Amino acid sequence: MPTPFTFVRLQYRSGNWDTDQRMPSNLLNSLVEYTTVPVVEQEKVISLESAELFRYPFCYLSGHKLVQFNAKEKANFVKYVQNGGFVFVDDCNHDIDGLFARSFEEQMRVCFGPKALKKLPNTHPLYKSFFKFEEGPPTTSFELNGWGDDLVHDYLKAYEVNGRIGVLYSNKDYGCEWDYDFRNKRWLAEDNTKFGVNILMYALTS
Amino acid sequence: MAILSKDQAQALLKKALSYSKADECEVNLNGYKGGNIRYARSTVSTSGEEENMSLSVESRFGKRSGVATINEFDDASLEKVVRRAEEVARIAPESPEYVPMLGPQTYLPSNAWFKSTADINPEYRAEAARKSMALADSKKLTSAGFWEDRSGFSAKMNSKGLFAYNQSSNVDFSVTMRTEDGTGSGYVTRDVSDVSKLDTAAASAIAAQKAIGSMNAKAIEPGKYTVILEPTAAVDLLQNMFGNMDARSAEEGRSFLSKTGGATKLGEKMFDSRVTITSDPTNPEIPTSTWAGDGRPHEKVTWIDKGVIKQMPYSRFWAQKKGVKGLPMPGGFIMAGGTQSLEDLIKGTQKGILVTRLWYIRAVDPQTLLYTGLTRDGTFYIENGKIKHPVKNFRFNESPVIMLNNLEALGKPQRIGGNLVPPMKIRDFTFTSLSDAV
Repeated sequence: MPTPFTFVRLQYRSGNWDTDQRMPSNLLNSLVEYTTVPVVEQEKVISLESAELFRYPFCYLSGHKLVQFNAKEKANFVKYVQNGGFVFVDDCNHDIDGLFARSFEEQMRVCFGPKALKKLPNTHPLYKSFFKFEEGPPTTSFELNGWGDDLVHDYLKAYEVNGRIGVLYSNKDYGCEWDYDFRNKRWLAEDNTKFGVNILMYALTS
Repeated sequence: MAILSKDQAQALLKKALSYSKADECEVNLNGYKGGNIRYARSTVSTSGEEENMSLSVESRFGKRSGVATINEFDDASLEKVVRRAEEVARIAPESPEYVPMLGPQTYLPSNAWFKSTADINPEYRAEAARKSMALADSKKLTSAGFWEDRSGFSAKMNSKGLFAYNQSSNVDFSVTMRTEDGTGSGYVTRDVSDVSKLDTAAASAIAAQKAIGSMNAKAIEPGKYTVILEPTAAVDLLQNMFGNMDARSAEEGRSFLSKTGGATKLGEKMFDSRVTITSDPTNPEIPTSTWAGDGRPHEKVTWIDKGVIKQMPYSRFWAQKKGVKGLPMPGGFIMAGGTQSLEDLIKGTQKGILVTRLWYIRAVDPQTLLYTGLTRDGTFYIENGKIKHPVKNFRFNESPVIMLNNLEALGKPQRIGGNLVPPMKIRDFTFTSLSDAV
């Protein structure tokens, strides 16, 4: 029996890390629905300062506000990513100049150098890891003109370690898009969490 | 005189039918008297009164049908219009969806006509508008409103022995108010059958309060919020849903009630258990005609019972094809609610948004009933049971199906657009972006 997958949410000190609380169970529901990956039904919140983080291959980090790692958080984040961990980072502001985006991108520069985050091409294996997304990252309903800025991010960014994504960074607010009662999924024309399955499967199998 | 009594209408229709040489013939007589008054920038801009009666004749030869109308009623004109319908029928193609005309039907007695509304005159309309404008002026607001009243009758008779007669009356009133600086806007709409129930000053006070209250709105981040939809805001989404409940659309795979392989969701629980939608042509709040345009009787019907789809409206053709009785689409729907007032719902909300009105609603996906549109004329942030401040308008993307699964509470239903709709508290209502419109 393989070890069940645990959805780990990273708690960091500087901002609001506890966003979109139903999103993890919705994604876990999709893993159960589409794959044979065994899952732990409850998400696990782990402090970025804690070494417990190193027991899990996937972590999620999100927020609207400031991201400013303290020394311990920074050391753990760098070590986790360099050691083969996968962090999915999602900007809840979906606003390219928002506080989360500006401060998180600065943290990536501090952690991994000035050109760490790069745009992912739409041909990246992430977009074929389970379902096929020929057009790259699917849009969300929160993107167009969210703050009147008419910005649509038609790409994701990533920091890769040895040709594999270590940090996947989205300004598309997937967290909000997938934050609903999973029972309402049946009313959608198409399950909008399918890309989440790709992210999890990539993190677990690449 | 455009209003005929039952006996007068019956006599005229009998005479028209007597000229028919067709296999089947149906004659419809409609008469009304009504008027309107419109004001903008707190000044009356247009007003008018109209009175008319018209006769429509459908003649059929086999499966060929022709229709002609006229509004002259001397014997020669009656014969002329019947002949014209017959001429059209003879050259028309056969209808693949032909159903024979109905025979005699039994209808519930109608209570949709009120003398108070039928007696409205230009002075009455002017006074109704004046009261609304005076209220706006007293608060230094600009008002733009429209009042329309109509009372009349409809009668139907056919060569199979069917006769139906109904009288009805209706008043629609709406007003938008704006603050002098243009940053605040409020709206109210009211519709009644009995004009004595309509107080334009009281209604206008709500629009005024919303206009003043919505000045200098603050932007808050789009996202999923608990909302309180006033009946005016909820009705359009509900009407869109209700209008899409047709059995044929569902069975042909075109609607939100479709399932694969021609099956439908009839009998399935689709909504929160508190969602019950009925119709009743004799409901004293929203009385309608007791018969449908095709002659079928309107009855008391439960369409959705405790979240379960119980009935779908059928056209006569589709009902015959499917071998079912098939109920017609009703004139108005009644959504059951609770006893709480709008104020009670606000008091019980820790964090949410009060929505006065939705507009510019467009379909995004007909099969899931996903709609998009905008809030307008008063959108407010609620915190700890109180309205805190106005917020900038939002674009929403939402399906009434999901909305009715995310129900938190229902208030006391009120008449809106000929329906009874409760104010609703809904969680996770999806606002996707901000709008600069006031």
